[in-house]
Amino acid sequence: MSDRYLWNKSGEPDPEIERLERLLGRFQHRGAPPLLPRRIPFRHRQLAIAASILVTVSAAWLATRGPRPEWSVALVEGAPRVGSRAIVGSAWLGEGEWLETGAASRASMRVASIGQVDVEPNTRLRLDKTRADEHRIRLERGSITAMIYAPARTFFVNTPSATAVDLGCRYSLDVDEQGAGLLRVILGWVGFEHRGLESFIPEGALCATRPGRLGTPYYEDSSEAFRAALRRFDFEQGPVTEVLAEARRRDALTLWHLLMRAEPSGIGRVYDKMAELVPPPPGVTREGMLRRDKRMHDLWWDALGLENIEWWRKWKGLAPPVK
Amino acid sequence: MNPTLELASGSEDARDIAAARGGDQAAFAALYHRYARMVHGMLLARVPREAVDDLVQDVFLMVYRRLDSLRDPGAFGGWLAQITRNRAHDYHRRSPQSQELHEHMLIAPASEDRLAEDALEAVRNLPEAYRETLILRLVEGMSGAEIAERTGLTPASVRVNLHRGMKLLREKLGGGR
Repeated sequence: MSDRYLWNKSGEPDPEIERLERLLGRFQHRGAPPLLPRRIPFRHRQLAIAASILVTVSAAWLATRGPRPEWSVALVEGAPRVGSRAIVGSAWLGEGEWLETGAASRASMRVASIGQVDVEPNTRLRLDKTRADEHRIRLERGSITAMIYAPARTFFVNTPSATAVDLGCRYSLDVDEQGAGLLRVILGWVGFEHRGLESFIPEGALCATRPGRLGTPYYEDSSEAFRAALRRFDFEQGPVTEVLAEARRRDALTLWHLLMRAEPSGIGRVYDKMAELVPPPPGVTREGMLRRDKRMHDLWWDALGLENIEWWRKWKGLAPPVK
Repeated sequence: MNPTLELASGSEDARDIAAARGGDQAAFAALYHRYARMVHGMLLARVPREAVDDLVQDVFLMVYRRLDSLRDPGAFGGWLAQITRNRAHDYHRRSPQSQELHEHMLIAPASEDRLAEDALEAVRNLPEAYRETLILRLVEGMSGAEIAERTGLTPASVRVNLHRGMKLLREKLGGGR
């Protein structure tokens, strides 16, 4: 064997290695860099605002041009259907049309030019709206995985119990027959909203919903006891003290949300536990949190070591309201 | 491949990392072009082929978000390699275990495509260290020195992996030399 040729293609060529290079070269990487999320560094906020205005203006201009209100859907496996038509190879999903997969079928949708949604078996969803500045589907049941490269709050998934708001990310969303949902963030951030209540869900975290109730986000690696206590708090009116008793430093994500959700009589306890895990930054006081001061709540978020809340608030202010 | 290929110096990485941290997307694209073959090859060694392109994108998006946590820009390659391995591991943890449908099942026997699929499958069935290094060399076209530079492995380790891996691969493919 020619070690020199194997090492750097110098010296006498080795016919077997040459043959393998020729055969295997077809699998070589040929991709392009990803479209990077428009996460703007805190110190460049003015630039971010200018860019966001440009995006909004461009989106409005594109909307006036009337982009095709359909998404392409590719067959992945089995026999998914658009309306009553079985997909053969690929199809178009128009506004108001339903896409349905059976027990052994899967499909993949291009979300205009901003991303992709993979549709798992036993899923039923409808394209409600596709515009340059807003793309919205309704997931009635089943499972999807979405990968979106677009400004935050451009892609929305309505479910029977809450609305998932894309913040530039990859995530999966499951909805069962009763309308209960589970959102799992694989990369980036997702917001989950229901009747004015918001959950910010970072990478590695999940959030459950039930019809009429939005759950509290938690990290996937939290303890079973913590998750069980949180489930009882969210959906069975369980005591917040059980949740607090099981919380670790990393579960401050959950506790931060509970500051705005616990009963008035329990906020003080949430504050005390949260302060033990993540000391409140200057400007955040117990009295302020007891009256659910929004500014203090945001300040404390920044102390969690997650992304600065500014960028999320900023994008939100420029986007259309959730319907 | 040019045997005299100039490898990126640590200072190029450091310069691009510093610029990318400030939001310079061209600098991040330079890092991408320098390391994409490594990431692609490492994933190809571990996950189904149809998932590789998406995961390459995932890895670089993840890296972009986490650049601030990289303490030593000189260790970027090793750091990126570890993120890539973790992402592949995570893929298997999250994905339902299922039999991968290989394209070669649908390809006519003895065609070039079929031979290529079989060769790739043979490499992917080698022990992990050998399969990763061989894919970077035979699929991605990287030299031994480049593999060492990018992954943070020592040149000696890469040389051993290439040599032993190639020997095993020849045996699997029936050469046995």
